Amino acid sequence: MLSVNQFSKHYGDFTAVSDLSFTVEKGDVVALLGANGSGKTTTINAICRLVDFESGDITFDGKSVKHSAKYLKRVGAVLGGCRNINWRLSPIQNAEYFARLHNAKQRDFRPFIQQLLDLLGLREYQHHITRTLSTGNKQKTALLCALAHNPNLLLLDEPTLGLDMETVEALEHTLKSFAQQGEHGFLITSHDMHFIDRLCQRVIVIDKGKEIFSGDISTLKDQLYRYELNIEVAADVLPLLLKEVPKHWPSNIAMTPTDKGIQIFYNLPDAVFPTIQWLNDNAIRPSHLSINELTIENAYRTLLTTSKAH
Amino acid sequence: MLQLIHNEIRLQWYEMRQYWFETVTGFALLGGTFIGLFYGIKSITASSAEPTSLDGLVFGFLMWSFATSAYGSISKSVSNDTQRGYLEQLFLSPAGFPTVMMARIIAEMLQTIVFITLLGYATMWLTENWLEMSFFSFYLVMFLGAPSLVGVGFLISGFTLIFKQTGAIHALVMFALMGIVAANGLPFNIISVLPFTPAVSLARSFVLEGQQAEVIDVLIVLANSIGYFVLGLVAFARCDKYARKHNLIGQY
Repeated sequence: MLSVNQFSKHYGDFTAVSDLSFTVEKGDVVALLGANGSGKTTTINAICRLVDFESGDITFDGKSVKHSAKYLKRVGAVLGGCRNINWRLSPIQNAEYFARLHNAKQRDFRPFIQQLLDLLGLREYQHHITRTLSTGNKQKTALLCALAHNPNLLLLDEPTLGLDMETVEALEHTLKSFAQQGEHGFLITSHDMHFIDRLCQRVIVIDKGKEIFSGDISTLKDQLYRYELNIEVAADVLPLLLKEVPKHWPSNIAMTPTDKGIQIFYNLPDAVFPTIQWLNDNAIRPSHLSINELTIENAYRTLLTTSKAH
Repeated sequence: MLQLIHNEIRLQWYEMRQYWFETVTGFALLGGTFIGLFYGIKSITASSAEPTSLDGLVFGFLMWSFATSAYGSISKSVSNDTQRGYLEQLFLSPAGFPTVMMARIIAEMLQTIVFITLLGYATMWLTENWLEMSFFSFYLVMFLGAPSLVGVGFLISGFTLIFKQTGAIHALVMFALMGIVAANGLPFNIISVLPFTPAVSLARSFVLEGQQAEVIDVLIVLANSIGYFVLGLVAFARCDKYARKHNLIGQY
């Protein structure tokens, strides 16, 4: 269905995306992850023909998206969250408007929208003005509009942004049930790792426009670090620290010497205890010692360290 | 295309019905402003006693209403949709964004026919200044000239895609339209190269004054219309290309 082949996008000297390749078939739920500014939205926009690109190609059923917009009949998208619909209309008016915009036939989309209203839990709000709905229901309305013409490929850019847990679960349930039908493929960008973990079979992580990981979610989780330990000591103790500390850690960590000490990325919170114990036993008093939970952006960046370490 | 036009008419109807207060006040404000202007001019100018001046004022007002509608049908909607945040969804239509906009223009023009006819009769009734004119002939000439304003609308919309905030330009164009509906673009002169001016003159002579329409005048109106329409489309296509190249569509 969708094939992104060595897609690159440059703005002058700045490279937004470089040589990115992946595919999405019917039944696939693929996550496109990365820190802010990594090139996710540029990629989604290019798939939607909202961005021109210089090299590589994006094809839909073997035909380049550069040459015709007809394939958009089979594509739905939630871009920029729930702002992406007309807040002056009701959910059902929005859905019908966008379905017609995609050239869908009324006899097809009307019963389908009725099904979607139940599936998304929007039945009781179908005639309310979208502006008056909660953020969650606005987001569901955006999804309703993207699905209204029954597209084969659905592109969701940050679909969980601003949603509570309950709504995220409902969204997840809806997307799963669609994916199970095998008629729809999904490409999702999100910062919500739990959402991605439960929903996506395949993950592509990009950093500064380059693919740094492509594989299944469990492999990603193995490689993605959750914590960071920073130890700084006096200059005379530093060689001892660099020599001894690595002995107290399991293999699946990333360790980097710094000017004054050592930085360690690791996964299990209690893995730090032997090092603390060793410091105490040897009466080494660090000038600085901190343990931080990594933000998802920083966690993605550790993948670069990981790939070097592996 | 028909489905797209139908879709846009529905959208207009939903908005007019759900925001009826906005619709009614918009109508009343426009009508009220004109009535104030009409009686103001009537009371302070010496020539107000001449019915032709007042006829010209009413006729000019109808032309200005049409012109703002034709220009605003695209420029206003691109600007509004950019602010509201769903412009890129319109770009996702397989028909293509310009086609969606053309459907919107046609829908808007159909609404304008109803709106101006009502406004025209309301204005004539309130000012007791009845024009002997055929609305059919009026719309015929207006639609010959309208593509020039649509072209200007496409041009400004292109700028909106790139610069987003183009409110000042819109205000300037709206102001300029007042001058345009008062200008004399026929017979051909330097003013004729401005958008819509030949159509304004043709409407005044053919519809209001009942003179015979010359073929050469009609051709000038058509040339002006087609010229600005093509210019607007080309400019929009260039702006669209620039916006796509720099990823500006949908960045508010």
